Amino acid sequence: MDSAGASDHDGKSILVVGGGIAGITAALEAAEAGARVILIERSPFLGGRTAAFHLYFPKLCPPACGLEINFRRLKNNPRITVLTQAELESLAGTAGNFKATVRLSPRFVSGACTLCGACVEACPAERSDEFNFGLSRTKAIYFPHAMAYPAAYAIDRSLCPEGCTACANVCRYDAIHLTQAPERRVFSVAAVIAATGWAPYNAARLAHLGYGTLPNVVTNVVLERMAAPNGPTRGKIVRPSDGKPPESVAFVQCAGSRDENHLPYCSSVCCSASLKHSAYIHAEHPEVPVSVFYIDIRTPGLLDEFRARVTADSHLTLVKGRVGRIEEDPNTHDLFVTVEDALAGRKSIRKFGLVVLATGMVPQSDGLPSGFERDEYGFVADGAPGFYAAGCAKRPEEVAATVRDATGAALRALPYAVRSGRHE
Amino acid sequence: MEQVRQIEPDLAFIGELMSLGGGDVNKCVQCATCTSVCTLSTNNPGFPRRQMLLAQWGLKEPLLSDPSPWLCFYCGECSKQCLRKANPGETMMALRRYLTSCYDWTGLSRLMYRSAAWELGILGLVASVVVLLFTLPHNFGFGLLSQAGPQALSRVMLNQFAPVEVVHRADTLLALMLGFFLLSNAARMFYRLTRNQQIPASDYVRRLPTMLFQAVTQVRWKGCQAGDAIKNWLRHLLLASGYVLMFTLVVIFLPWFQVSNDSIHWTSFLGYYATGVLLVGAGWMIADRAGKRGEMYRFSHLSDWLFPILLWLTAATGILVHIFRVQNLPMPTYVMYVVHLAIAVPMLVVEVPFGKWAHLVYRPVAIFVDAVGKDAMARSV
Repeated sequence: MDSAGASDHDGKSILVVGGGIAGITAALEAAEAGARVILIERSPFLGGRTAAFHLYFPKLCPPACGLEINFRRLKNNPRITVLTQAELESLAGTAGNFKATVRLSPRFVSGACTLCGACVEACPAERSDEFNFGLSRTKAIYFPHAMAYPAAYAIDRSLCPEGCTACANVCRYDAIHLTQAPERRVFSVAAVIAATGWAPYNAARLAHLGYGTLPNVVTNVVLERMAAPNGPTRGKIVRPSDGKPPESVAFVQCAGSRDENHLPYCSSVCCSASLKHSAYIHAEHPEVPVSVFYIDIRTPGLLDEFRARVTADSHLTLVKGRVGRIEEDPNTHDLFVTVEDALAGRKSIRKFGLVVLATGMVPQSDGLPSGFERDEYGFVADGAPGFYAAGCAKRPEEVAATVRDATGAALRALPYAVRSGRHE
Repeated sequence: MEQVRQIEPDLAFIGELMSLGGGDVNKCVQCATCTSVCTLSTNNPGFPRRQMLLAQWGLKEPLLSDPSPWLCFYCGECSKQCLRKANPGETMMALRRYLTSCYDWTGLSRLMYRSAAWELGILGLVASVVVLLFTLPHNFGFGLLSQAGPQALSRVMLNQFAPVEVVHRADTLLALMLGFFLLSNAARMFYRLTRNQQIPASDYVRRLPTMLFQAVTQVRWKGCQAGDAIKNWLRHLLLASGYVLMFTLVVIFLPWFQVSNDSIHWTSFLGYYATGVLLVGAGWMIADRAGKRGEMYRFSHLSDWLFPILLWLTAATGILVHIFRVQNLPMPTYVMYVVHLAIAVPMLVVEVPFGKWAHLVYRPVAIFVDAVGKDAMARSV
C-alpha cells in the first residue's frame, strides 16, 4: 500500500471518502476506467452498512455475493489504495490540485497475522459489538465481522487494561505492536468523492415508543442483524426479553421519519425494508402474523412489484395509521400498541410479541471539506468543481440506487484525474 | 359496488375555521398519530384525526353533528406529537369556537367570534347601558342618591343608591334571559347532535345523571394523560366552584349578600372564598396564557383573553366594593358598584349564551350524547 503521490505517475488520484457500498463502487469504477484511487474508511473494515444486511431487497439475495465480488475487484486492482481506520483531516487546493491530509489510526496488527485467534483468547477485556448494535460482545481485540475486508484483527485500545500486553505476548508471529503510533499522510488528489453514508436515526429519541425501556421494542437495523446468519442470534428472529420467537410482530413505519419533530424527510427505504423484514419473518415462522402500521407505503417504481409479492402473504396486514403509544405487560413483556386504523376510522390497542421501529436514515457528513454543499439535514450535494457526493450521504436510497449514483460520481470525478484533464 | 358520493368542499367554512384558531388542517397527512396518542379519544369514532379530515374536506355538516370537539380538553398531546405541526389540538379548539357560533340562533355569537370590533362593541354597549341606568333615572342610582340627602354621602347606604329589591329583580330577569338564550342554543346543539340517531328516549333519560355529574365535576378532564391535566382540571374546578357560589349569592341570596352599610354578614365569608378563588384561578390562567405555558395556551383568540380577564376584573371590583363599604367610604363604594356591574353584566351577557362560557352547557351535553351513543353501540354489538 504505497503512497499514490503525484510526482511518480502521470495522472492524479481520486480520493474517495467512505468505504461502504457507495465508496467501494465509486473507487472501482474510477480505477477500472484508468484513474488512481485512494479509498479511505474510518472503521477497520470496508462494506459499511451494507455488510450488516442479511438480504438485499427486492431480489432478497445476500450482500455477500455483491460485496465479495467487489472486494476481489479491489484486491486485484493495483490502482486502488485502501486505507482503513483513516480519516480525512484536511483538504486544500482546487480541483485537479488538492492536497489531502489523511490521519491513520494505528491498527496495531500487521500483515504477519495468520488469524490464528490466540490473541482473542488471551485478551481480558470486552467491548460491545457495534456491528451488531450491542446485541453481542467481542474482546477488545476482535475480528470485525465474518466478511470483513481487510481480513484482519482490530484493537479497541481504549478498553485495554493499563499496561496489558496479553495479546502481543501470546502472538507467535510478532504481528501485534501495541506501541504503533498514529500517522499522517499527504496525498495529491484531483477530485474528492464523499461517500460517507448514513446512520440509523437515534432511536433513543423515540422514547415515547418505548425504545430503550421496553426490551421487545427493537429497531429495523437490529432486526436485520438478528436475521443475518452471522449475527448475534445466528439468524433467529427472537424477542430480546426471553430469546423466544415472537407470536406476532408489528412494524412501526416512519419511526422518526416524515416527522418535523425528528427527521422531516422520507427516508425512502424503510417501507421496502419492513416488507423485506416481514419476508424474513415469514421464511422463519410462516404462521406468525405481521402488521405494518404506515402513513403511506412508499415503494416507488419497480419496488411496487416487490410490495405486491410480499403482501400476497396472508399473514401480512398493512394498516394505515401511525402508532402513537406502546406499552407492555411487565410480566410477559408482551407489547400493547395503540393505533387508529385511519381507513376504518377505528382506534384499538393490539397485542404483539415484538415491535420493530422502522427508523430512518441520517446522513453522515460531519467533517467533510467545506467544498461540499450540505443541506439543512446534513445531506451532501456536489459542491465546487472536484467535489462529488454519492450514496446515502447525498440522499436516502437503497443499495441498487447507491451503486448507480456512485458510478455517476466516479464519472464526474474522472476528467480531473486522467492525464488529458478537463478543459474548461 | 360502493355508492359514489360526490363531495362538495365548503371552502368558506375551511377558511372561517382556520381564522378561528392557529391550526392548519391543510398540513395534515392523516397519519392518525393524534388519535392514537389521545387518552380521551375512544375507539369508535375517535378524534381528532377524523375532525382534521372533515375540516380539510370542508365537510361542515358532519362536524355540526359531532360531539367530539367538546370531548377534548386540550391537553395538546396531539399537537405536540403531530409530525406535520398541523396543531390538531388547536383545530379542535377552533371547532369549539366555530360550533359555539353556529349553535347560537341569534347570529350574535358568530358576529362576535368573527370580529373583534363586534365583540368589543357589544361589551361596550352593554357597559354603557349599565352606566346610564345608574346615571339617568331619577329614582335609581345617582338620582336616588341625591334624593337621600347628605347623609348618604357621609356614610355608606348602598340600598339608598341601588335598592336591593330592584337589583335583585333585575338580576333575576337577566339570569332568566341569559338562561333562555343559553338553553335554546343548547337545545339546537342537542338537536344537531341527535337528529340522525335512532335511540329511544329512555336511553337518554338513563344517562341524565352522567350529564349532571360531568357538569358539576368536569371529571372527564382527568382522563387526559398530559403532565398538567390534573392541575388544569383542579384549577378549573376551583374556579367553577367560585363562580357558581358567586352566581348563587347574587341571583338567589342578593337580599342577604348585598349589605347596605359597613357591617359584615355571614354572606361576606362566602363572598371572600368566591372572590379569592376567582382572582387566583382566573389570574393564574391569564398568566399561563400570557406566558404561553402549555399547548392549551399557545394560540389565543380574543375570546380566550376576554373571558378570564373580565372574570378577574369582576372579582377585583367586587371585593373593592366590599372594602370601600366596610371602610365606610360612601362615594367610592357607589362608583365601584357601578364599575363592578359595568364589567360583570356585559361579561355575562356576552359570554354566557354567546361566548366561551357557554361551554358549561355544551360540554356536558356533548358528553351526555356521546355516552348515550356508546351505550346504544355497545348494545348492538
